[in-house]
Amino acid sequence: MQSSQLSVPLTVVVTASLLLASCAPVRVSSYVGRDLDLRRYHTYAWAPPDTFSTGDPRLDNNTFFIERVQQAVDGHLRRKGFEKVASGQADFVVHYHARVEQRLDSKEFRPGEPGCQGSDCRPFVYDAGTLLIDLVDPRSNQLIWRGWVERGLEGVVDDQTWMDATVDDAVSRIMKRFPS
Amino acid sequence: MRVSPSLWVAAVVGACVVAGCAPMRVSSHVDRGLDFTRYRTFDWGPADALPAGDPRLERDAFFQDHIQGAIERNMVARGFERAAAATEPDVRVHFHAVIDRRLDVNQVDYQSGYCSRNDCQAGVSDYEEGTLVIDLIDVRTNRLVWRGWAQDSVEGVLDNQDRLARKIEQAVRLMFARLPAAR
Repeated sequence: MQSSQLSVPLTVVVTASLLLASCAPVRVSSYVGRDLDLRRYHTYAWAPPDTFSTGDPRLDNNTFFIERVQQAVDGHLRRKGFEKVASGQADFVVHYHARVEQRLDSKEFRPGEPGCQGSDCRPFVYDAGTLLIDLVDPRSNQLIWRGWVERGLEGVVDDQTWMDATVDDAVSRIMKRFPS
Repeated sequence: MRVSPSLWVAAVVGACVVAGCAPMRVSSHVDRGLDFTRYRTFDWGPADALPAGDPRLERDAFFQDHIQGAIERNMVARGFERAAAATEPDVRVHFHAVIDRRLDVNQVDYQSGYCSRNDCQAGVSDYEEGTLVIDLIDVRTNRLVWRGWAQDSVEGVLDNQDRLARKIEQAVRLMFARLPAAR
């Protein structure tokens, strides 16, 4: 797991983008390896997809979802000038993790929260999805960049067109933070 | 006659326990642009590597048989036929069932005005939700071409064979209504 390698000194880049869309905010963020010199990296390959559950049985082993994520990332990396090559020859390896969790949001317990008036303050539950993209240097096996987005997913997975659009949007929010 | 609010709440809660408050949610993903009329025969695929998430289902022969029976009937109704023995089918079917614990906030009280903001209890409860996923895999390309699923509360269902059978029937029928027909 890459997350265990986060002890590597990393610069935390400011968290940005707080959008209030349908109650659950979209949050985007990223980490950059301290000495990241992108000029060293030209080619990439995909790491094998996760074999553990996403937390949502609709998305586990769902190639429609997996391929949408990979295609979206491929598009952004290509436009940034990176070339996809066979694994073993790549300068960096791309990894993604998707995770869905149910969250309970109770604004009643947060007095003073803006935007909460009357019936808006009732507690609600929603599915929160996190999509995380890691770029790893296969020689040192160190994380060179990590970006992720978290947002509410209510109704998204059940609608294939909406899911595709949500994946595209999530990936472009993440890749926007990638240094170019 | 004036029915007291608490009686209404009791009636609604009672109805929820019997029928399940939220309706069954059914949907699917499909390989768009694929012509399903090219398919004719199906057979069962190897079991999924992911765990069912509940030992009550993994070891339940009744549950497994019932789902297989329901899927076979619905596949036939959509124009598929079971591949003859020792022949390669066009598609392989496999299913996957998961039980998860989910939270629910009872919003009925607010929406119906039984109580106002200040005196409503935050009615957060948890329940068991079952998800049944059915995959069709093109044998020639070894690609997923359709995935259907149904999600519903299974409170009081797993230990009641009649209710379980009715849930399975309903889930499989609604899922297959979304499958493009074979020739």
